[in-house]
Amino acid sequence: MKKVSLMFYKRDCMGCHACEVACKQEHGLGVGPRLVRVIEKAPAFIPVYCHHCAKAPCKDACPVDAISRNEQGIVLIDGDLCIGCRECVEACPFGAMQYEENKEIAVKCDLCVDRLAEDKLPACMSVCPTGCIHFGPEKNIASVFEQHA
Amino acid sequence: MGETKKIRTACRSCHGGCGVIAHVKDGKVIKVEGDPDSPLSYGTLCAKCLAITQLAYHPDRILHPMKKGAKGWERITWDEALDTVAGKFNEVIEEYGAESIVVGQGTGRDYESHLYRFANLLGTPNVLTAGHMCYVSRVGATLITCGNLPVSDWNGGPKCIVMWACNPQWTNPDEHKGVDFWKAYKNGSKLIVIDPRKGFLANKADLWLQLRPGTDAALAMGFLNVIIEEDLYDKEFVDQYINGWDPFVERVREYPLDRVEEITWVKQDLIRKAARMYATTKPACINWGVPTEQTLNCTDCTRILTGLMAATGNLDVPGGNAFFVPPPVRTVSHFCRHKDLPKEQWKKRLGGDQYKLASRVAMITPKVAWEAILTGKPYPLKAGLLCGSNPVSTRANAREAYEALKKIEFLAVIDFFLTPTAELADIFLPAGTWLEQNHMADNWKRHGYVIARQKAVEIGECWQDHKIFQELGKRMGQDGWWDTVEDALDYLLEPTGLTWEDFKEKGYLKGDQVYYKYKEKGFSTPTGKVELYSTVLEKWGHDPLPKYTEIPESPVSRPDLLEDYPYILNAGLRTPTFFHSANRQIPWLREIRPDPIVEIHPETAKKHGIEEGDWVYIASPRGRAKERAKLNDGIDPQVIVAEHGWWFPEIKDPGHGWDISNINLLTDNSHEFMDPVMGATNLRVLLCNISPCEDE
Repeated sequence: MKKVSLMFYKRDCMGCHACEVACKQEHGLGVGPRLVRVIEKAPAFIPVYCHHCAKAPCKDACPVDAISRNEQGIVLIDGDLCIGCRECVEACPFGAMQYEENKEIAVKCDLCVDRLAEDKLPACMSVCPTGCIHFGPEKNIASVFEQHA
Repeated sequence: MGETKKIRTACRSCHGGCGVIAHVKDGKVIKVEGDPDSPLSYGTLCAKCLAITQLAYHPDRILHPMKKGAKGWERITWDEALDTVAGKFNEVIEEYGAESIVVGQGTGRDYESHLYRFANLLGTPNVLTAGHMCYVSRVGATLITCGNLPVSDWNGGPKCIVMWACNPQWTNPDEHKGVDFWKAYKNGSKLIVIDPRKGFLANKADLWLQLRPGTDAALAMGFLNVIIEEDLYDKEFVDQYINGWDPFVERVREYPLDRVEEITWVKQDLIRKAARMYATTKPACINWGVPTEQTLNCTDCTRILTGLMAATGNLDVPGGNAFFVPPPVRTVSHFCRHKDLPKEQWKKRLGGDQYKLASRVAMITPKVAWEAILTGKPYPLKAGLLCGSNPVSTRANAREAYEALKKIEFLAVIDFFLTPTAELADIFLPAGTWLEQNHMADNWKRHGYVIARQKAVEIGECWQDHKIFQELGKRMGQDGWWDTVEDALDYLLEPTGLTWEDFKEKGYLKGDQVYYKYKEKGFSTPTGKVELYSTVLEKWGHDPLPKYTEIPESPVSRPDLLEDYPYILNAGLRTPTFFHSANRQIPWLREIRPDPIVEIHPETAKKHGIEEGDWVYIASPRGRAKERAKLNDGIDPQVIVAEHGWWFPEIKDPGHGWDISNINLLTDNSHEFMDPVMGATNLRVLLCNISPCEDE
């Protein structure tokens, strides 16, 4: 199975935050954890999101092996195994790992793995009005830059 | 647990119309997704739409009618609520006449047709909407100038786009969505952005013209000056289709570029470059936003911009500013039954003699309503019905709006929540959200589509607004309503041969677009031409030619105020999470924007000891508001940019903090601040000072 990844083409992010709310809705999250987030520094907007790193620091940091990488390359966390130590939140170089206060566990982007199984796009990407969110085979995703150049 | 049903519908969290698939399980909407088959939004959605379930099922939402009794709000039945409103309105009609009832709305949940039908059948000419300074003002000014509203034709392939005070991707696209603009831009169109603030688009633009707020009309005159001086205009079009080109040119010559630079702060070279780019890259469209309307230059600025489109031959051409052909449904205007308002009632419209263009498009400016309530002149307004409107937050001179609505003898409101305005009412009627509506949506827009907004659920005892007007109308004995909301939709759809049930399946209808209609039919104006010299305004005793008028409170017109109020306030900064005063109680959206924001240039902030994130008082000669500072070096150091529409649903007393961060405590709605024919209030530009909040 081809490995997939997620990428935001930052220059086309206009800071509408639609991805954030789509993600909250899809994952049933309330106020607090933001699996994707756009920081506003108008006229620039900086998306913060999980890169599903090939060698994931969050996974390496987890003391109970709650974080794994599936055959598609999607880095997933098992909420039942998580002990809420926040080592992964500290370890993530992108600020993408989040903590769910209510459940006292870490949460993260699962690249909408359930939607992918139904042949749907990740929730964030499906609503983005500028099409700045890209998802696909890891090796091809760099070609996004060529398309935009 | 039941199956999940998917209902195809259309959003109305802003002026909307984006295609939505609502997922309904066990009688509840559990999720909304974009509809990839929508011809307008192609599956994309914004944060407001995506948060609709948090609005529809919000614990504070009012799900039944209420009356205000001695002990506060009490639940009542629809029967009692409608009888109370109808009884009171009948009393007022008997004693004072129907004109003493004001019927009003905010930006509207697509019920203009029903609200106006109710008001016209009631016999009141006093309809109070946001239209005096938002969109309808643009429609009115273009109707008298070129017979229709010219709309950017993104799909027609513009080669040059002028984004004039607008950001359709960020907030409230009036007709087509930002997605279509974006596609046109990505197809390689040139982009000129007119904005006092460096936003996403200004950053992308080929040319960014950072003008002094409120001087758009002068800048447009500068464009015309270059185009005329350098012979870049479309001579054939000008000769055949413009009324009064020569006197118009004379007027334009009063705006040489050195003068325009002085007025607008935009360098002459840049104006020249932009004017050349617009005039020589064809087709080109101008996409205008409300800041061009929310000053006393409203009508003139719209007319000058129309002049630009006309002079360059970009009117009703593919990829220019087109007149879209609607599908053959019955129009909103027809449904409103304007013709049934008796002539003698029409003449009683408040401010009708003064604001003739507003009267032409059947509305009043809020000022005259507040005056009638507070002073009883020229006659008193005794009762009101406000639908989806929060004037104490969104109208100029909020304090006057508040005092007037507090004083009016009887007020009924239709809304979702107890807003600061709703708290002043006697009767509360609970409205359905767009998830609870059956409607032929977008009929009022001029983009050539109507869309099926299909009811996904019913919640509590809420009724869609259309039904409220219909049932209240019937209760008052009005003829001309239907048994059901859907029967009225069948009537609207009748000329297409479709019923509501058919249309629902179809999803949308599009008109058959034809361009260059003027070649056969001319323009729908008295002379049949584009009236840059307006015979209508002339008849009304106004200057038939457009001009730039200095804002009454600016560094130029009021240098005496500069010592105390040294900055230009650019009020009304939009956000993609809120729509005017809506959505402050929605957790997902409030998390993104917890506080009202005022943008200040870093140098200016430093001068006042203000740091990023500090609470700041913004004050004008009329009042002050408190917002949180955000530093932005993309604005002029003399310009302050503040958000509008803020109140605090989490503050539980009936004021809900309406006067804490309300930028309209600073704005002025006096007659001299208003557009002389439209009554557009100045919500945008005035003088202010800033200071750190010592108590925070």
